[in-house]
Amino acid sequence: MALMTILQAFVEKCNQHERLRAMNREWSRTVVIWAEDTGSRYWLRSVAGELQAGQGPPEEEANMEIRADGETLEAVFSGRLTPTEPYNQGDLMVRGSQDDLFRLDVITLMIWGE
Amino acid sequence: MADQGLNKVLPLRTAVSTSAGLASAAVNFLAVVDVAMYMGGRSAWLAILVAGVLILLTASNFSELNGMFPSAASIRVWTRRGLNDQVSLVASLVYATTVVFVIAADGFVLGHAFQAALPAVPGILWVVLILAVTAYVNLRGIKIAAAVQDSNAFFLLGTLIVISLLVVFKQPTMALGPLFHFGPNWFQGIALGVFIFVGFEWVSPLAEEFYDARAIPRGMYIALGIIAVAFGLFALALTDILPNAGVLARSVIPQLIVGQKALGALGFWWMALITLTTAMTTFNGGLVTASRFVYALARERSLPASWARLNDRLVPSRTLLGLAFVALCLSVLVYLSGQYEVLINAGAGVESLMYALTSVLVFSLRRREPKRNRPFHAFWYPIVPGIVAVIFLGLALGALTTAVGTSQTPWALIFVGLLTAVATLYVAFGLPRKKRQGKLASSAKQLLERGR
Repeated sequence: MALMTILQAFVEKCNQHERLRAMNREWSRTVVIWAEDTGSRYWLRSVAGELQAGQGPPEEEANMEIRADGETLEAVFSGRLTPTEPYNQGDLMVRGSQDDLFRLDVITLMIWGE
Repeated sequence: MADQGLNKVLPLRTAVSTSAGLASAAVNFLAVVDVAMYMGGRSAWLAILVAGVLILLTASNFSELNGMFPSAASIRVWTRRGLNDQVSLVASLVYATTVVFVIAADGFVLGHAFQAALPAVPGILWVVLILAVTAYVNLRGIKIAAAVQDSNAFFLLGTLIVISLLVVFKQPTMALGPLFHFGPNWFQGIALGVFIFVGFEWVSPLAEEFYDARAIPRGMYIALGIIAVAFGLFALALTDILPNAGVLARSVIPQLIVGQKALGALGFWWMALITLTTAMTTFNGGLVTASRFVYALARERSLPASWARLNDRLVPSRTLLGLAFVALCLSVLVYLSGQYEVLINAGAGVESLMYALTSVLVFSLRRREPKRNRPFHAFWYPIVPGIVAVIFLGLALGALTTAVGTSQTPWALIFVGLLTAVATLYVAFGLPRKKRQGKLASSAKQLLERGR
């Protein structure tokens, strides 16, 4: 499945999660996602608890950047891998604040569980 | 591929303050006493300086590794890529426990400082109270601003420099000979001198927050210089006041003695306040760092999943409470037994082993991933990393085998050995079983979902 489709499904799942929406109400961020093997770029945006996803560069300056190969990104955003697994292997690299990174991990924890 | 800027990045100042802040623990005052004892008194500053220079060489290893893999999981990632998952996990678990050692040792210093300042209140109560308040504040998800945490480092180091200079200039001209005299136990002196710098490298996990990859190396080097000057001067002032190693050995409140000598009652209370704020920042920084580390290991399924459970305020509460409890037990044990030196030796030993490991990783990753981008190269590879590995392995053995008090038993070695054995047994036997069970549970869940 293409990464964009997976990101759309991820966004939908997040937006349907009441507790997550409440948790992210104050968290407005833009995250750029680079698939390094294909050079493709995607973005996730959180505005008042609502998530959006898109392809290409975002309109605004990003708060965070995630880089990995496409396969790893697909596994992470479809819930087959926790983000911490490739992250602790050095296969998923991040730039941005640790708090935002922690928040992203918590989001995946809440929608897919342990 | 074009690089994209981020709208919020940290400046070099933060790299310096974080590195200096994480190395600045209250127990460093007692480490200076130990260094002075082993060096035979006045030359303690020299051991601190030598330890600082050696640590600078280690910092160049950290800089190379950090530039290659700028990650909050730092040592976990580097060891995994450079060696293997099992060694990485054992090393990370043992490394993370030094945080708990430092919390317990700082509790000892805090308790004794306030026992001396307010004798009516038992010192141990201060330890329990401050640790409980710190754990509560963290459980509630209240963050002590990094700026507050970091400014304490400058507050402490600045005060040490000023107060120590006041003491040094108050004293009559001293003979130069003892200042350069290396006592019979100089090797242990330098090994324990390493402890004063312990934690400088914990700025590495912040690498993702800096846009300029050079900020972390530069920050570490500047911080190491400031720490060496501040604690070197403190050692000079302390050994000026108490040149006799026998008297020094009985001192558990050296910072208050130096403060009193410099500025009388004001200096005494000033240093008591600094001890309190430094211990609080150690407790807070230690609990936050260690709980997030355990959370991350639980999320990658290397530790029980329940350790990654969050409370309503998104804090890994079970892990945080567990760590606070262990730190409290160790603090009470150390406070009542007075055996804080075991923790200093253990901390210096573990850190020296980690510093030696960074050299091994530099060698290994140059071979395994020669083409990976290295914004910073370790100094004079392979000579300096080779020397660092040998020296720090020796210093680790020196610190771990140092006898404490009248006992000849190397308690630090036994303590760290047991810890490593437990971690190794878990990684070799407990973890594979846990992963098998996890796979079975996951397959059962998938089957159930398909059946619906």
